[in-house]
Amino acid sequence: MLELPLGRMQRWMQEVVVHPGTVGEAIASARRELPPERLADVVLPSRTLTPAERVEIYQRMYLLRMEEALGVDYPGLQHFLGNDGFRRLVRDYVASFPSRSYTLNRLGDHLAEFILTAPGLRHRAFCHDLARLELGMTEVFDEAETPALSAKAVAAVPAESWPELRLRPIAAFRLLAVRYPVNAYVDSMDRKTHRYPRPRRKDTWLAVFRRDYSLRRLELSRPAYDLLSDLAAGRVLGEAVTTAARRGAGARESQLYRWFRQWMSSGLFAGIESGG
Amino acid sequence: MNLFSLPDLGIGVGLRTVHFGHILSRRPAVDWFEVLSENFMDTRGRPLWVLDQVAERYPIALHGVSMSIGGTDPLDREYLRKLKALAERTRAHWVSDHLCWTGVAGRNVHDLLPMPYTEEALRHTATRVRQVSEILERPLVLENPSSYVEFAASSMTEWEFLSRLGEEAECGLLLDVNNVYVSSFNHGFDPRVYIDNVPADRVVQYHVAGHTNKGTHILDTHSDHAVAEVWELFRRSCRRTGNVSTLYEWDEDIPDFEVLHAEALKARAYREERAAEPLQVVRA
Repeated sequence: MLELPLGRMQRWMQEVVVHPGTVGEAIASARRELPPERLADVVLPSRTLTPAERVEIYQRMYLLRMEEALGVDYPGLQHFLGNDGFRRLVRDYVASFPSRSYTLNRLGDHLAEFILTAPGLRHRAFCHDLARLELGMTEVFDEAETPALSAKAVAAVPAESWPELRLRPIAAFRLLAVRYPVNAYVDSMDRKTHRYPRPRRKDTWLAVFRRDYSLRRLELSRPAYDLLSDLAAGRVLGEAVTTAARRGAGARESQLYRWFRQWMSSGLFAGIESGG
Repeated sequence: MNLFSLPDLGIGVGLRTVHFGHILSRRPAVDWFEVLSENFMDTRGRPLWVLDQVAERYPIALHGVSMSIGGTDPLDREYLRKLKALAERTRAHWVSDHLCWTGVAGRNVHDLLPMPYTEEALRHTATRVRQVSEILERPLVLENPSSYVEFAASSMTEWEFLSRLGEEAECGLLLDVNNVYVSSFNHGFDPRVYIDNVPADRVVQYHVAGHTNKGTHILDTHSDHAVAEVWELFRRSCRRTGNVSTLYEWDEDIPDFEVLHAEALKARAYREERAAEPLQVVRA
């Protein structure tokens, strides 16, 4: 019998549990905390399992749990890569970005960033955009619900004041520019149409937001995206609109009215603030 | 009545996302809900809104998986602050977690990893339980885990460890009778001895659940109906503790709400028949 101090036992067991290889490789890799030949002095066998087989139960469950958690946040990416490809990505990802939070909701926060350098990944740029979109959706899902600006509040603003005002977006709102048709990919999953776009370049601009606790995505034209970005960044309306008009194509006055009507009816803004 | 005068809430089920719509629209006649704390601590979206609605209508108890009470990293004060805030928001009757550790060196492997039952582990855990109870301003309730590994260094049984921990740190016990059964199979002890020797007056809640028998070992999967042996352990324990808040756990392949609730309500019969015959206690 060997009584390891509690801290050392825990370091040893964690190193074994998170090891992506076989249990034999895992036990060997943790030799600094416990020489493999002393395993039976620390872990007892059962009637049916050796000490290594007992530890292996925890080791096997670790990656399954990580895969399941990331699959919840990145269903599109999992679908695109297939189960084997997604499993490999998860294995490599959690080796670089293990969970350091009490919640699994934060596990996938660095997945898009990791994809840029993940070994052996095909269609890397498409996967990166898909992960960015799905991360944006998760963030919007967890944001606070803020009441949208009412038509009454908008009507109460004197026309001459508008150029100097700022529009504050709701909390559950993200803007995203992607280079691949990942919104169409997620759409075909949501709608179960199975008409998945090919991972070919197609610039897309998106607003991801939530209304009445329901997640929504709105495809935007490039000029609309630019204007909405300026407004979300806090530019006063007059300046933002002038800039949009100067950018030219697609930002004519009638177009601007259509955009604003759509954004207001979608509830993208929570408040009007003085530009000063 | 338990040592903490915590009420018997009756028979409850876990609040799970797949049932949100059913619970809000049908308002099922469930006695109470158990809420997985970590699922609601970092969101301000729909899950929290649903929880607020549920907490308005039903009694709530919080149940966590990330406190790592047996871990050797420092206690996560930010986690405990958020946990306390959630308990206050939901007017939770109590807050529970597991006798386990979940990671070291800043990592969380999100598993309920086993403790060696040694004097060192007992002192360490008791100190942390007292600290947590002070921060939460309420006694912590700890659940007996199911485990797949036994340590050669253990100098006492799990039920002895829990009894001494209860005395030294003034904590309550969430007795999971399925976990007792799972561990008894995996480690080869008589589950009746465990049931008959835990401190009955510290039991403030029961868990009942299904598991998966792999032949060589049993996995605590919460994926099925409970087997007859688990219900029998529940009945046996109720005869010592009296009626205590009981919850049915189902976390994998979760069925429709009515199926889950019907499984939970099986507990009623076992609770009612508890006094029918005298208990032959099996001593350790």
